[in-house]
Amino acid sequence: MTLYSIVYQELKARPWAMLSSGLAILLGVAALVAIRHITVHSEGEVSRQLSTLGANILVLPKEATLQDFYSADKNGGSLPEEHVSEIWMAGLTGVEKVSPKLNVPANLGGIPVTFTGILPQSEFAAQSAWQTVSMFTPKKHDGCKKAHTGPGDQSPEALITSRAIENLKDNELVLGADVGEKSAYSEGDQVELLGGQFTILAVLPRTGTVDDSRVFGHLHTVQKLSNSGETVNAIEIVGCCEDAAGDLVPELSKLLPNAKVVTISQVVQTQVGVNRLMANTSWFILGVLVCVGGASLAGAISANVRERRREIGTLMALGATPSFVLKMFLAKALILGVIAGSLGCVLGLVTAVVAGPRWAGVEILPMPGTALLAVLAATLVALTAAYWPARQAARLDPCLCFQEV
Amino acid sequence: MIQLTQVTKQYHRRGETVTAFQCDQLSIGKGEYVAVVGPSGSGKTTLLSLLGGMLSPTTGEVVLNGQSLYKLSPAARSALRSECMGFVFQTFNLIPYLTALQNVQIPLCLSRMPIEEQIERATALLVQFGLEERLHHRPSELSVGQQQRVALARTLVNDPQVILADEPTGNLDPESREIVLTAFEKCHHDGRTLVMVTHDPVAATRAQRQLLLRNGQLGEIEAAADSETSHRAA
Repeated sequence: MTLYSIVYQELKARPWAMLSSGLAILLGVAALVAIRHITVHSEGEVSRQLSTLGANILVLPKEATLQDFYSADKNGGSLPEEHVSEIWMAGLTGVEKVSPKLNVPANLGGIPVTFTGILPQSEFAAQSAWQTVSMFTPKKHDGCKKAHTGPGDQSPEALITSRAIENLKDNELVLGADVGEKSAYSEGDQVELLGGQFTILAVLPRTGTVDDSRVFGHLHTVQKLSNSGETVNAIEIVGCCEDAAGDLVPELSKLLPNAKVVTISQVVQTQVGVNRLMANTSWFILGVLVCVGGASLAGAISANVRERRREIGTLMALGATPSFVLKMFLAKALILGVIAGSLGCVLGLVTAVVAGPRWAGVEILPMPGTALLAVLAATLVALTAAYWPARQAARLDPCLCFQEV
Repeated sequence: MIQLTQVTKQYHRRGETVTAFQCDQLSIGKGEYVAVVGPSGSGKTTLLSLLGGMLSPTTGEVVLNGQSLYKLSPAARSALRSECMGFVFQTFNLIPYLTALQNVQIPLCLSRMPIEEQIERATALLVQFGLEERLHHRPSELSVGQQQRVALARTLVNDPQVILADEPTGNLDPESREIVLTAFEKCHHDGRTLVMVTHDPVAATRAQRQLLLRNGQLGEIEAAADSETSHRAA
């Protein structure tokens, strides 16, 4: 028989008495661990994407949301295609590439896909030449080291790296990685889509984005086959640098008052900010839940002390010192804190690993530091919460042992 | 062995001072078996608490083996209780979630004895009390008599010099009462000092010496030369 075995036997005999307080701590820790894991990983992923995206700008219909764009939802509304020419001919400083997109649902060999119409960059060059308006050609932003207003990468893979393709014929398709994998089509295959006959120009490598489930075709072909008229769902603009993107937004808004102009970098940075807010909120949630857990535990230990007054008196009569009684209740809190904290940690980790890819689209890896910190926090809160009632127990009058039941 | 000098215990309630216990002089020798009788509220439990080092007197001094109890720190008094004293309670005060064996182990645990030795000693004593079949039973699974025997084993497991008993036969049937009183007599013969507070006149007459406590005032009733003689007379 030891102090811990006395505590263990008592906990074993009355497990429900402490369950509610332990549960509150468990849920608090689970929430903290899950939120911290998801936000930290999400933040890392968004930051990584931000660094690869550069200063992209989206021109969307007023009523459309970013979600409409990223989910390739045609219900988000449309823009007249002439906006593309307006942007191009406005000769705005910093515009590197302009890439209009029209999304329509389609079926490729029994696989539902998003058929995305894009305009090859070579046609912009031809348009500029035809109009002989070289003064309308986009201007390189002074001091920009990133601008490539001239002919760039000619390969279809440039769709991924620079959001635009140099050449694409009316009867050619470029398949996203998922579509290529599911349909088993490869370069050079002949396919039918929306009633049109196409040759597959390339299958793109996996990007981990919505582009993987798209089939890219010429914008005018998609417009014709889907009877969409001369419209697009979005216009992507690659700015030559972040400064240019910053200046471009108000200029584009002025140029296209009926459209919504957003910079992806701003959106991503806002997302990073939201993630940080979530991360900070998670500490607040921890505070609230652990306070509830702590208060609940303090209440439960106080009630336990009241219930066991005679027992405590008896132990003191048998030779238990006040410090033994204090340790007895603190040990109980320690056991509860460690168990509830550890279980909460496991629950939070499992939740994060399962929910992370679904909710935030990021793969979650366990962060041992956060997990350990959460268990330590739970234990500390449990000990702090139990200290006052434990001290009261240690100060009880041993004469209570003579009290009749 | 035990000496009370000018001891009073007073409580203050609603501006009034109530004297719960008063004793000019009381000496209990080593190996003496003393019964304290008196009506309810006369201060019997206060006396036991004072003797057990659990209740500081308002005035006076309680001395055990030449050591003034209340000059010691609470922790030192706890250690002294653990080493020298054993308590027997009217309602046994067994810890409900511990088995009979674990209950008896408690005083040994508090005196930091190694676990193996605790188990060996507690088991031997419970076997001596005829409870070898009940070692791993919880108090709720034991009869009243068995519970009191477990409580007695717990009292004696530390080999205390002084046993303080609060109405030890109050809740017992005649058979169990006899077991307890016989155990007390054995302790007395072994040279332990016993102070038993009781309402039970039969139990009181088994003691070597009887004290009467009335309105907090302690007085001698009679001194029996031999408790066994009293027992036979009863």
